[in-house]
Amino acid sequence: MGCVMNNNWLEKNTFHYSDFKDLGRLVEEKAKKNLKISLCLPTLNEEKTIAKEIIILKSELMTRYPLLDEIVVVDSGSTDKTTEIARAYDADVYDAAEILPHLEPFKGKGENLWKALYITQGDIIIYLDADIKNIHHRFAYGLLGPLLMDDHIKFVKAFYDRPISIGKNKMRPTGGGRVTELVIRPLFSLFFPELTQLLQPLSGEYAGFREVFERIPFPIGYGVETSMNMDIYEKWGLDVIAQVDLDRRIHRNQDTKALGRMAFSILKTFINRKVRLGLIDLRDELFDEMIQYNLVNNKYQADIYKIEGHERPPIIEIPEYCEKFKIDQEHIQKLQEA
Amino acid sequence: MDNFLKQLPGFVNEIKTLKEIIITNIVLIGQTPAPTFREKRRSKIFMERLAEFQVDEVTTDGYRNPIGIIRGTDAGKPPIFVHAHLDTFHEKDQAINYVIKKNTITGPGILDNSIGVGVLTSLPAIFKKLDLRFESDIVLAGTIQSIGKGNLRGVRHLLKTWPTPIRGGICIEGIELGRLNYYSDGMIRGEIGCSISDERGKLEEYKPNAIIILNEVINQIMSLSMPQRPRSRIVIGKISGGANHGKIAHEGGIGFEIHSDSYKMVKKIFGDIRDIIEGLNHEYEVDLNLRTISNLRASRLNYTHPLVKNAAAVLETLGIKPFSKSTESALSIFLSNKIPAVTLGITHGVGHYKEKATMEIEPMYQGIAQIVGVIKAIDSGVCDEQQLA
Repeated sequence: MGCVMNNNWLEKNTFHYSDFKDLGRLVEEKAKKNLKISLCLPTLNEEKTIAKEIIILKSELMTRYPLLDEIVVVDSGSTDKTTEIARAYDADVYDAAEILPHLEPFKGKGENLWKALYITQGDIIIYLDADIKNIHHRFAYGLLGPLLMDDHIKFVKAFYDRPISIGKNKMRPTGGGRVTELVIRPLFSLFFPELTQLLQPLSGEYAGFREVFERIPFPIGYGVETSMNMDIYEKWGLDVIAQVDLDRRIHRNQDTKALGRMAFSILKTFINRKVRLGLIDLRDELFDEMIQYNLVNNKYQADIYKIEGHERPPIIEIPEYCEKFKIDQEHIQKLQEA
Repeated sequence: MDNFLKQLPGFVNEIKTLKEIIITNIVLIGQTPAPTFREKRRSKIFMERLAEFQVDEVTTDGYRNPIGIIRGTDAGKPPIFVHAHLDTFHEKDQAINYVIKKNTITGPGILDNSIGVGVLTSLPAIFKKLDLRFESDIVLAGTIQSIGKGNLRGVRHLLKTWPTPIRGGICIEGIELGRLNYYSDGMIRGEIGCSISDERGKLEEYKPNAIIILNEVINQIMSLSMPQRPRSRIVIGKISGGANHGKIAHEGGIGFEIHSDSYKMVKKIFGDIRDIIEGLNHEYEVDLNLRTISNLRASRLNYTHPLVKNAAAVLETLGIKPFSKSTESALSIFLSNKIPAVTLGITHGVGHYKEKATMEIEPMYQGIAQIVGVIKAIDSGVCDEQQLA
């Protein structure tokens, strides 16, 4: 069975960062629309890269071009000097556990992103991973471009060149990483073929309007990118999404076992979403342990990782959030029911 | 100038408010590889950054040295050159990623000369912040082909072909803060190669060993007598050779420099080394060869030259203790073109040529303030009266 795809989307909503390199123009649009923009860097032991990200983004997009209104670091309890260094370069640094402290604390990237919604001020929020070795301000302004220049776009994802050789002196970019190609793309092809047009659905860099992020749930772990794509697609459709080529990204490489755990989290998030949407039926609950084996002294030994897959509700359902942002919670509830 | 000197310590904190811009320039330029003869990418970024900071003119000279010009207020005054070489010792043409910590930046080439080039590109923003205008045009020159076999070709060409007189020059090097170089020794940089022929019929174990022969070359060079006057010395700084622990080395090489107050003496010592090579060639029947990589004539400003005196005053006003020694760099090209110039270092650092070369961030702001001070000194006329001989 084939599917009817919105084929125009790939052409219409795919950009290159250089389309937005006129930063003066972006500043004008931001002022015209009276928007505030926040940059959030979720961290866990990123002392080698955090300073560079803060310095370059602050220099280029705060001091030279007033695009960003704040840079916020939300940390999951780093044991290295990540937070000390981030503070030394004047970022606003928060310990995730101390944001909305009455809630049961979880550790994970998704948790940091979700809590960042509470402490940031921006109408637009940019999320960048904090382990980018070749950070450049294009990572932020490339994501901002479609949001500022096109009134229909509400959420923008990054994709990158991962060049492979296709003959002598010829290179071309491919799609995503290993988990994308082996897990996500087959799943999207099976269930949401339109979403296969997202070239790197797991990229850790994206930006969007608060009104979008505050209305979707956030899995606390690796599943956050998968769920975000699916939820935004389900709620608002593909046309509010855009993707931007940010050229090359150099980051820490993960071993296959770590990628396996990542895939576990993503699969669990995906299946839970399908169940919630009534698209599949599960007879039993899913297990929450990822089991991997090591050969130790000629014996196979199981490494068991508990990956529970907690999920935060849309933050707009949290009373403190509504109070802080002066949102009438009843009105929201009615809207959601409608 | 005295009034300006009083303001100078206050500039340090003003400059520090631009720390993100300065560090960004150092990192974005430094992370772009620029081995000698392959500086094109760094050159492009250098020009892009200058253009973004709204320098009046950004262009290249006929040798493709990138330059930016900040126009002065008096068209009748000759320009002041601020110079940093673009190329680095780091030879790999691959992505470099610097690591920034609380008070350090680490990565290959950072000290030589990413700091210098990064600071050069930050000067337009710094002048703006300090609300400084100069009578002379300020030429920000990032020259190519400086190091090793580059033999300072970029800066030689730039100065030789510049169409107007030049008022004075400042060469910026990453380290060491406090250096105030105003003279250059005469120098010849050379390489000695030894190769053993693969001639058939000779048993491997009876062939001469390139490393042993080079060892003999070194011994004979070391036995040359070095005069105290003119002060002279030989540095053997590079050695390579062989392929395997248990095999006779068929190839080998050493790199050396001869330095002296007198270029005549440099040439004489080079002649002595040539004699050694010829003698050993005959004795061992191998292919020993001697090549000149680069050379510089001795040139200097006197310590009493107003530029040196004023530069020392600038450093002391900022609490930096000046120290001097000979430098074999772009400075000698300025001086040999009869352009008064000094070389200044920006900060402190360790691991000069290593992958993990590390600079200190905090002293850099003082280092930049001294550059501003010396530009101002030249602009106020300290180089105008006393011509170089």
